[in-house]
Amino acid sequence: MLRLLQNEWMKLWSKKGTWIMAGLMVVLIIAMAGIVKWSDSLMDDESDWKLSTQSDLENDKSSLEMGVLKGESKRHAEENVKISEYRLANDIAPLKNTSREGMIYNPSVGSIALLLTVIVAAGIVASEFSQGTIKMLLTRPVKRWKIMTSKYLAILIFGIVLMLIGFITTILSAFVFFPSAGGQALAVSGGNVVEVSIWSHGLYMLLLSFVNVIITATFAFMVGSVFRSSGMAIGLSLFIYFTGSVIVGLLSRFEIVKYLIFTHMDLTMYESNFVLNDDITLPFSLAVLAVYLVVFLIVSYTVFTKRDITA
Amino acid sequence: MEPTPIVELKSLSKTIKGKKIIDDLSLQLYPGQITGFLGPNGAGKTTTIRMMVGLMKKSGGEVVIDGQTLSADFEEALSKVGVIVENPEMYKFMSGYKNLLHFARMQKGVTKERIDEVVKQVGMQNRIHEKVGTYSLGMRQRLGLAQALLHRPKFLILDEPTNGLDPAGIREFREYLRLIAQTEDVSVFVSSHMLSEIELMCDRIAVIQNGKLVDLRDMSETQEAHYYVEAFPADQTFELLGSLGFKTESVNDGFVIQAEKTQIPELVKTLSTAGLELYAIQPHRQTLEDQFLELTGGGQLAETAAK
Repeated sequence: MLRLLQNEWMKLWSKKGTWIMAGLMVVLIIAMAGIVKWSDSLMDDESDWKLSTQSDLENDKSSLEMGVLKGESKRHAEENVKISEYRLANDIAPLKNTSREGMIYNPSVGSIALLLTVIVAAGIVASEFSQGTIKMLLTRPVKRWKIMTSKYLAILIFGIVLMLIGFITTILSAFVFFPSAGGQALAVSGGNVVEVSIWSHGLYMLLLSFVNVIITATFAFMVGSVFRSSGMAIGLSLFIYFTGSVIVGLLSRFEIVKYLIFTHMDLTMYESNFVLNDDITLPFSLAVLAVYLVVFLIVSYTVFTKRDITA
Repeated sequence: MEPTPIVELKSLSKTIKGKKIIDDLSLQLYPGQITGFLGPNGAGKTTTIRMMVGLMKKSGGEVVIDGQTLSADFEEALSKVGVIVENPEMYKFMSGYKNLLHFARMQKGVTKERIDEVVKQVGMQNRIHEKVGTYSLGMRQRLGLAQALLHRPKFLILDEPTNGLDPAGIREFREYLRLIAQTEDVSVFVSSHMLSEIELMCDRIAVIQNGKLVDLRDMSETQEAHYYVEAFPADQTFELLGSLGFKTESVNDGFVIQAEKTQIPELVKTLSTAGLELYAIQPHRQTLEDQFLELTGGGQLAETAAK
């Protein structure tokens, strides 16, 4: 299996496109940091964090009193109240979004890594068909499910490598472009307000967005191996990625929305204050995603191992 | 003594959408022998070969390779087989060497030394590290052969291997196949519609039509001698030949008779003393093409081609 994985890895990096993608990852992240820096320099606000924290606190309190919040949203509001009160009481400034710490605390690597991994996942089986190499590949004394597994693992590792390249680039550009602005991230843990390291939170965000990368890439992998067309696989995957939240919005009145994949794809929502549906929690999302993941894989493997190669 | 076959097809069948593509096909292939696989377009050559190498699932019957059934022990059975299915499509964006490395990793026990050895065998040392995309068709064929030989297969299966090769390339390829069949006792199975090609290359041919094996013969079998006789007037010639006891058949302007070489001088004398004008008498060799068309029926062939 290791040798099959080596093969997939070799094929992947022998393509110019892969290097271009890795380069694109670096360039885009630096460019985004540059744009953030530039737009921030235009704003030039020296607002007092205490004033904005005070107003946030009042907002959260009033929405809690109105009693319309429930589930995740309610929990978030309650935590925010605790954190805001703690900040004001102990004079602890929050992280500034456009600071070195803010960049590392909340790295925006996921969506670029997702796009690029989807392209690779869509093509890894489909390209063997379009190149005609599938005949060479499947006439070896290796069972088809092993070949499939090596390909899937190659995608996952590629995704991880991209995320890491992205995170390292983010860290470097955070240090190059942005000054340190102090502040301390806080979170509520077990009812108490605790300090959070920007590094562990950054990695945690990376992990949450990587789940989305896995799900979307697995979907692309499935479409690519069923329809043998990487274009179709990329198209469908990105369609789902971009229209998912719209579909959730349209169907939000219905119970079924809880079981749709779109509702759960972006797990970073549990760290921001915007949850698509109040009835869901992180473990529930993970469970739903796991079911979808297994279904995608079963479909991919079954079609691939049963197919007669005629072309 | 009958040698043990290296590959055995046992009543192999394939049904696609209720249509029998391959119907109860049985065939044995022996070490050191090159077997040609002939058949008109759509007869099921490619389907048979694809079932033998695991690209297609069989509907019935069994493929046994060196004692292992393909369906029971796919990996063990296929590890004895080297395959070139049509044009060997390689990864164009990688060098020839990386392609070989790729396929070597999918076999057990192929060392780096073995890769170098095979590269030398097919004469590609100078360009093996260049990208396959820059290779000519002939070089790609050689690389295709190299990947099929990496693991020293006992059985080599080739589907239309000389497609797109120039005459020199075909010849080289043919001689190479003969060499490995003889020196390494490899059994070779070649499908082709190039009849002259098969005729020059094979020890034995199997003919398939409409999914059924219709003929299997050794090329080395001594053919009954035939002679072509052309004399005037034709009807008298025919009578005379008949009265002499020759099996006579009318072909073009003359006749083909079944006769031994030693009978010919006597026949010439007889013809001239009978006052017939003898224009030609020559050995008549029925080409594989004639035999093939005879077997599969020219009309049938034209029909399938027209579809």
